[in-house]
Amino acid sequence: MRRSDLGEFEEIVLLTVAVLTPAAYSVVIAEELEQQTGKTVTTGAVHAALQRLEKKGFLTSEMGEATAARGGRRKRLFKVTIAGSKILHEVKAVRDNLWGRVAPQGLPQTHIS
Amino acid sequence: MKRPDQHPSHTPPRWVDRLIGLLCDSDLQEDILGDLYERYQLSVERLSERKARRRYWREALAYMRPAFFKKTTHNTTPHPVTMVKHYFLTAFRNTVRNKAFSTINVLGLALGMTCFLLIFLWVADEKGIDNFHANGDELYTLYHTTESSGNVFGGYSIPHWLAESNGQRQLVLAEELKENFPEVLYATNYATAYELPWGYPCTFQYGDTKYKIRGSSASEDFFKMFSYPLLAGDAESALSEINNIAISEKMARMFFDQPEDALGKMLRYENFKDLVVKAVFKDTDRKSSLQFDYLISWHTTAMGGILTSDNKWPTYIQLRENVDQAAFAEKLKDYQNNRFQYPDNYRVNLGIHPFGDHYLNSSFENGKPAEGRMEYVKIFSGVAIFILIIACVNFMNLATAKSLKRAREVGVRKVIGSSRSYLIGQFLGESLALSFISLVLSLVLVNLLLPYFNDFSGKQMSLPLTDGSYWLFLIGITIAAGLASGSYPALFLSSLKPVRVLKGLTRFSKSALWFRKGLAVFQFSLSILLLIATLVVSRQTNFVQNKHLGYDKENVIYLRIEGDLTTKYALLKERLLTMPGIAMVDRSSEAPHNMGFEMSSPFKWEGQQEGEVIGFRPTSVGYDFIDMLGLEVVEGRAFSRDFATDSAAFMVNETALRLMGMENPLGKKISAWAKQGHIIGILKDYHISSLHEEIKPLIVDIKEDLNFGLIMVKTHPGQTKAALESLELANAEINPNYPLAYEFLDQEYARLYENEAIISRLSNVFAVLAILISCLGLLGLAMFSAEQRIKEIGIRKVLGASVRSIISLFSKEFVQLVLVSFVIAAPIAWYLMNGWLQGFAYSISLAWWIFAVTGVSALLIALLTVSFQTLRAALRNPVTSLRSE
Repeated sequence: MRRSDLGEFEEIVLLTVAVLTPAAYSVVIAEELEQQTGKTVTTGAVHAALQRLEKKGFLTSEMGEATAARGGRRKRLFKVTIAGSKILHEVKAVRDNLWGRVAPQGLPQTHIS
Repeated sequence: MKRPDQHPSHTPPRWVDRLIGLLCDSDLQEDILGDLYERYQLSVERLSERKARRRYWREALAYMRPAFFKKTTHNTTPHPVTMVKHYFLTAFRNTVRNKAFSTINVLGLALGMTCFLLIFLWVADEKGIDNFHANGDELYTLYHTTESSGNVFGGYSIPHWLAESNGQRQLVLAEELKENFPEVLYATNYATAYELPWGYPCTFQYGDTKYKIRGSSASEDFFKMFSYPLLAGDAESALSEINNIAISEKMARMFFDQPEDALGKMLRYENFKDLVVKAVFKDTDRKSSLQFDYLISWHTTAMGGILTSDNKWPTYIQLRENVDQAAFAEKLKDYQNNRFQYPDNYRVNLGIHPFGDHYLNSSFENGKPAEGRMEYVKIFSGVAIFILIIACVNFMNLATAKSLKRAREVGVRKVIGSSRSYLIGQFLGESLALSFISLVLSLVLVNLLLPYFNDFSGKQMSLPLTDGSYWLFLIGITIAAGLASGSYPALFLSSLKPVRVLKGLTRFSKSALWFRKGLAVFQFSLSILLLIATLVVSRQTNFVQNKHLGYDKENVIYLRIEGDLTTKYALLKERLLTMPGIAMVDRSSEAPHNMGFEMSSPFKWEGQQEGEVIGFRPTSVGYDFIDMLGLEVVEGRAFSRDFATDSAAFMVNETALRLMGMENPLGKKISAWAKQGHIIGILKDYHISSLHEEIKPLIVDIKEDLNFGLIMVKTHPGQTKAALESLELANAEINPNYPLAYEFLDQEYARLYENEAIISRLSNVFAVLAILISCLGLLGLAMFSAEQRIKEIGIRKVLGASVRSIISLFSKEFVQLVLVSFVIAAPIAWYLMNGWLQGFAYSISLAWWIFAVTGVSALLIALLTVSFQTLRAALRNPVTSLRSE
């Protein structure tokens, strides 16, 4: 499995699923991402990413309960698979490794809030 | 809990849903719409309604990406070959599991197809007659439409001598047409020498070999027009000169070793003329309505002395290619009228009719060619299609009845994901498979039955299995039958709702039940119709054969006056009367059972009005004629040798008397041609020709020295053999140049109704088959019904129902079906058969009992068919039927 198999948006979505488990489904993921990034995130985009991730085997899904808010429709709940977890860890390892090696002069100063 | 649809203000725009439903994959719709709704609710709470709606749009548009669109190919679609294999497997399992049903289905369909194929062989054979000529499209036969004082009649044989104004025979119509009409390429007369009213096989002699042979005369264009292949000689010269003759291969072999040897040889005709053989043609086969073993050139016949059966005969022409035949017909119409000076109230119009059709259009209505035999061809085509439909209906009915059992299968298939079109395909495939099995079976049957069928219908047919188009026809029929019979079950079963089926809620809807009953009624109506028709046809045929004709046709043999007999009749009579087996000998100028010769101008009678004419049928007989045929004299007396004046006496029948309007006829003057005399007696009307025709006015006189006519010999009952030996001896002694040829009067009479006899035999067989097939269907329904109601019967029996009450419960349903069918079929049958009987001047009446008998027998047959099943169901031990579940 190549790393390029995990796009940036996909990575974030995957991570969000991990955060929100066991109640991770498209709408809450989209809301969460909106809150975190302050940008508009459509469920369509999230849904598409979830679908791709599931196809790649990083997620599994099952139908949850129907809610009135969804017009009596069921929600599809997602869980990260072992493969998903592994790839998240790999990505994180790469990043951590890189962060660890960043010299102070390598990054212009900025205030992180 | 809030439900969005309870708050109209919180409902997102509906048609976005629809758009999603239209564009997005059905599997994803729940997810997508759920997300959209939920997000909308959140937005409404957070923002204003208007903003929420705008946002909703954006959200919805985000789904317009390929990942969510409908997939064109469903990834669950199985490979077609696997599916077909699977269908065959289920079809096979189903067939084997329901052995009885499958047998009934296949057997019924195979029987139906067998009937269909046999009938269509017959139809094709009939239609093929006279249609083998290479120039077929340009060949026409002339016909005449004669109007005489308001009477209109027509025929293919044109009366050529009718207007003998200058005493000359007019034998040249064919030649004149060719000369006067540029449209006509070839033309020929064609006159047989062996048919009624006066024909007979002519005697030919080569060396010492003598044979009586049936043949005709034709003009020189004959072989150029018609495709009768020549084995020797050529079409150009075969009949081009006087005293030419063309003979068949068969005839050539009678006289010579090889057909080619015949060329140029002289054959002696009727011991008076020598004819040169100019061509040998292949024997005419059954595809030709013109049957002849020789053709004498018309130049010879026109000279006189050559026999023609009648004073009128057909004329055939071949038009040039691309001639407008309607325009030509218009030009031709008044040809005879312009050529002859006819009386004012008399016209003979000519018309043309395609030669290939003249055999089937054998009758005339209003002076124009009418349906004739074509009617039978059409009727039987209809019967064939009916029978096939009956067989298909069986199939349909049984399959629908059985479908309850298969409803579960359909439910499971649908749940697993089979689409409706797959199910339709499956059921149609099953019925097609069965119908192909039936085809194979029916081909075997046809092959086995064909020899009998040929005997039966007087044909020589074979299955044209080497003909590609026939196979196309077979396969087309099979597919049509398969589709027709599979269509209803396929549509019905595939429409079942899986939820209901799997819950066990399937019942036949009212309409499905009605449909099934309707099919059974339809089927039985057709069968009853056929049964009534058969009964009527065979009774009419019987009636015709056995009707008391007013004369005694048994034990009468007749032979023609020819050769030395023309002068030695008296000697023969004297000689025969001393020989064993012979009871009586007399003579007649006409065959008594079929007097076709009709004249009007030569007859004058006392009290005749100016211009009044009656078409008389004249015959000249000997003194014992009336005694021999057992004719009844109602007034006056019969001819007698005791009165010397009787040689100039006349007798007429009642019809003649009525038409002449004569009172006190005895002793009144009457004359025929030059002969003048008095009426001495009135004959009771007897049938002088076939029963298709009314009794015509008859005039009889004595002529013992006429040089033509028939010698009639009455034999002692049971001594026919001895009588024939006597005849042989006497003929050899008195008329040595002519081989003896004789006919039995009763057989010749029966031959007048050959067509009806064949029709009657055919319809008997097919009606029985139709009933049989219908009963197979009924049997299937009864079996099904018994099976369905096993539990019901068990419960009834436990509660004390008697066997009888159960049987009657069951039979009632079927009795109702048959009764309804009868009510539908009877009036139709009455209407149709009434029409058919109109074709006979003398016919049976459509008695009520014919219908009663048919109705009752249909009922009995139906009851008998279902009784076994009913009885079995009724006698079943309730323990076994109620044990399970």
